[in-house]
Amino acid sequence: MAKRIGSLDDMEQLRKRIVSGIDPNKTMVTICGGTGCQAYGSDKVFQAFTEEVKRQGVDVEVGVKATGCHGFCERGVVIVILPEEICYLRVRVEDVPEIVSETLVQHKVIERLTYEDPQTGEKSVKESDIPFYKHQSRIVFGKNRFIDPKSIDDYIAIGGYEALAKALCQMTPEQVMDEVKKANIRGRGGGGFPAAVKWQTTRSSPSDVKYVIVNCDEGDPGAYMDRSLMEGNPHSVLEGLTIGAYAIGAHKGFVYVRQEYPLATENTICAIEKAEEYGFLGKNIMNSGFDFTVEVERGAGAFVSGESSALMSAIEGRVGEPRPKYIRTSVSGIWGKPSNLNNVETWANVPLVISKGADWYTSIGTEGSKGTKIFSLVGKVNNTGLVEVPMGTTLREIIYDIGGGILNGKKFKAVQTGGPSGGCIPEQFLDKPVDFDELSKVGAMMGSGGMIVMDEDNCMVDVARYFVNFLSDESCGKCVPCREGLRHYHKILERIVSGEGRESDIELLQDLSDVIKDASLCALGQTAPNPVLTTIQYFRDEYEAHIKERRCPAKVCKDLISFYIEPDKCKACMICLRNCPVGAISGDKGLIHVIDQGKCTKCGTCLDLCPTRFNAVTKLSGEPVPPPPLKREVTREKGSEQ
Amino acid sequence: MTEAQEELLSELRETHGYKTQTEVVMDALESLAGRSSASFGSKLSHGVEPHEREEVMRKVIATASKVDEIIDKHGKNDSQLIQILLEIQREYNWLPKEALLWLSERLGVSINRIYQIATFYKAFSLVPRGRHLVRVCMGTACHVRGSMTLSDRASQLLNIDPGETTKDMRFSFETVNCLGCCALGPVIVIDGEYHSKPSTPELEKLLNECA
Amino acid sequence: MKQVTMSIDGKEVKAKEGMTILQAAMEVGIKIPTLCYDDRLASYGACRLCSVEIKKGERSRIVASCVYPVEEGLVVETESPRVQKIRKVILELLRARSPGLKEELAERYEVDKTRLDRDATFCILCGLCVRYCAEVKGANVLGFVGRGTERQVVFFPDIAFKTCPTCKECFNICPTGVIPSDFAVNVPRFEKQPTVFPVRLRDEQNLREFIKKIE
Repeated sequence: MAKRIGSLDDMEQLRKRIVSGIDPNKTMVTICGGTGCQAYGSDKVFQAFTEEVKRQGVDVEVGVKATGCHGFCERGVVIVILPEEICYLRVRVEDVPEIVSETLVQHKVIERLTYEDPQTGEKSVKESDIPFYKHQSRIVFGKNRFIDPKSIDDYIAIGGYEALAKALCQMTPEQVMDEVKKANIRGRGGGGFPAAVKWQTTRSSPSDVKYVIVNCDEGDPGAYMDRSLMEGNPHSVLEGLTIGAYAIGAHKGFVYVRQEYPLATENTICAIEKAEEYGFLGKNIMNSGFDFTVEVERGAGAFVSGESSALMSAIEGRVGEPRPKYIRTSVSGIWGKPSNLNNVETWANVPLVISKGADWYTSIGTEGSKGTKIFSLVGKVNNTGLVEVPMGTTLREIIYDIGGGILNGKKFKAVQTGGPSGGCIPEQFLDKPVDFDELSKVGAMMGSGGMIVMDEDNCMVDVARYFVNFLSDESCGKCVPCREGLRHYHKILERIVSGEGRESDIELLQDLSDVIKDASLCALGQTAPNPVLTTIQYFRDEYEAHIKERRCPAKVCKDLISFYIEPDKCKACMICLRNCPVGAISGDKGLIHVIDQGKCTKCGTCLDLCPTRFNAVTKLSGEPVPPPPLKREVTREKGSEQ
Repeated sequence: MTEAQEELLSELRETHGYKTQTEVVMDALESLAGRSSASFGSKLSHGVEPHEREEVMRKVIATASKVDEIIDKHGKNDSQLIQILLEIQREYNWLPKEALLWLSERLGVSINRIYQIATFYKAFSLVPRGRHLVRVCMGTACHVRGSMTLSDRASQLLNIDPGETTKDMRFSFETVNCLGCCALGPVIVIDGEYHSKPSTPELEKLLNECA
Repeated sequence: MKQVTMSIDGKEVKAKEGMTILQAAMEVGIKIPTLCYDDRLASYGACRLCSVEIKKGERSRIVASCVYPVEEGLVVETESPRVQKIRKVILELLRARSPGLKEELAERYEVDKTRLDRDATFCILCGLCVRYCAEVKGANVLGFVGRGTERQVVFFPDIAFKTCPTCKECFNICPTGVIPSDFAVNVPRFEKQPTVFPVRLRDEQNLREFIKKIE
């Protein structure tokens, strides 16, 4: 049983004791255990390491640790060998014996597993030299890689719970509030509302019972920052929550975790138990007289539950429909009691502000947006993963310097931010600094941190339809503008992508948008038009091509494209013919292959499988498919194969 | 109660040694039987042949006592409704009708509220699900990298549409609006294991591995 | 009870704290169109037909008057151009589901008849029947299932057989006439087999019969 921590001194001693047990020069293999790396088998890699160090007799000298997400998910499994900081990417179980014998025993770097710049071919051995990491400042997220999420001692070793000790032992709730106010932390969930203002409202609402809530119902498609924080470093969130509860005067907290994140639930429950053992949660925390307990609530799968009033309804055991928020939840929330809800990342910022001070915190970021923001940089970009940068970093820096540019050398088309409430930002705004205010000026929003990069092969009408489908499914369906508005959005966009759009459709979409925006009950509806409006605003030509020419310029919309085998490129290799799931391709050895357009289901298997050296399959849109060639025999050049 | 039911009741009491829960369940069953013209059990076993009725009753009682166990764990409080339903879902992999009805009785929550919740949240299924759950992520990152194609291919291989279960109860297939592993898209999750961008032959192999 | 003074359509209005804008307006005879509102039921705020424009200082925004509480110094406009556009489009959306709904209002707000594709299911999910049955009668015969565009009203035949034959009070509340017609179709269907599980109020069969009747 761990000793209960009763004072600042106790805290310091505990940390010293933990740190003294750790040899800073001991070799430590940290293996990313985030969801991305797990998909690539990080569990097995971890196990292989544990066994292999034993087998090679270095288990005393070398420690092995599974940590939270490192962020570079594209290159999983990611491992970092400390203290040298050697970073190996795309590690598989087969590589483990070699890593142990070469690197851990003989201290030799295995070049093959290090980062190689796709453009320059330059190698980087140290994690901090890799461009993906070099341009970030990971003040919140970076701690993940040192911590085993199930070990509270790991968190304490790097200074965890010191902010809580400082707040409870040395500061009054008012002073904590002042510090957070000075730091101007704004809500990371997307709204950007100043946390201190919300806290103050809850604090000054007259009631004995108040609640604080962590919103880990991360529903924005394309975003997973909160997941990786909650899974990788749950104590930082709990510490922030407890500090907030102290400032607000709440004695009960909830962590609402979406059901798609079982590991986050598991790690949070484990963290709560451990924190209770040390007395960081429970009665009379650190002898300050402050009581605080936390409970985990599992979500049941509804995007709209991320909306604060809907989330509170769900905690009450009712259907997660938003309610009109003319009386704020910070005044009347769960069971009518003042309830302060913040997003995971917001809470994780709080300990930083308390331990390092508001002055330090406000030195990072822009005029109106302080600190850093974590983004999920995904889509058609070379380095996908989670990145944390100071507010005000430009889109270009994020996508090109950190993200390494567009996949396969394609042309950038747009970046979608802010999830279904955000918009698509075209190339002309790539130099915009990213913060709470700047992106809103171009019709999008920074949102909770999803950043989905799209290239020339993405159809923007299809993207708009995608978001409308998403929202039609995820809207609660209570209010008319949102439910019925989305129904017609859906109908209109469906007919446009299937080539049956009407000339008046763009205007109709805009007209409906005004009303959905103005009259919907909650933020889901009020922001639902953004993906439609921004794509119309910046990519109107694509809409017009679909409507007027029945053509999909990006060749995405199935009803408007045809697959075609170019006769002069086809080498009659039989690959596409054999693999076509509907037998729509005719031909033979030596006979040029032809797609029967009537049978083709446009699944794209032929295009995927046609060898790149032939490149014979193409997509056509807005033009007739040429008739099959009269002469079907392949002309064989001398020395050419099949 | 019929003779068979009596027998079943005493057998249950003896063999399982239930002192508290089953008795509570049985008491409630009896009182329900007395209260409405159609008893709880016969409502559920409507259309069932008499000789099968005993079996149905047995199942109903087993479900009811399981539900009671779950309620005891979470507290008999309607604010726990969603958490209780989630646990029933985890237990059975779907929400059996008798469990919902029993829950309504025990928590004193109207059946329409339970159905509203059970059909509102994606985690719940009102029909039995297959042994293996196949989910294709439809998040934005997956979408721009071709999740539609992946979903179509899975659908073709399984020969069912999203939201359906194969006749042999081997697979249930679903699309999900974002699983939160966006860097790997397009992603398919089979029984909780994430797979990034599988080709058609790879996908076929993964599915064949599921018994 | 504290009184607040505010302005509705340029008229100075005194109202008791805790009232909604809609109630305050009604008291002075200003009529705001409503649909899902019923003074016997808790305000629901779903149809948004009662939307009004409020001004606080420089800022102006749209709120649902049936749920927005009165405030000192509030300036309310019930028929501003923005409000009129909202009502027009909301009626247009609703009438695509339930043709012929609120004829008078549709004329007043010059609702376009041709822009939207019709998808007539008649039930507009205003929830009046569901809420009346639960809040006033405590019977819970009706309920909502599903979400988003899939949302529907269902009824529970088992409970319905005990309560509905002597009640039928929701028949007069339904703005589309769906309830009485569905009741007529569904009662014979379930008389022999009462089930405790929900049945869609509006299925293919009774929809066809309903359309036949009104055509």
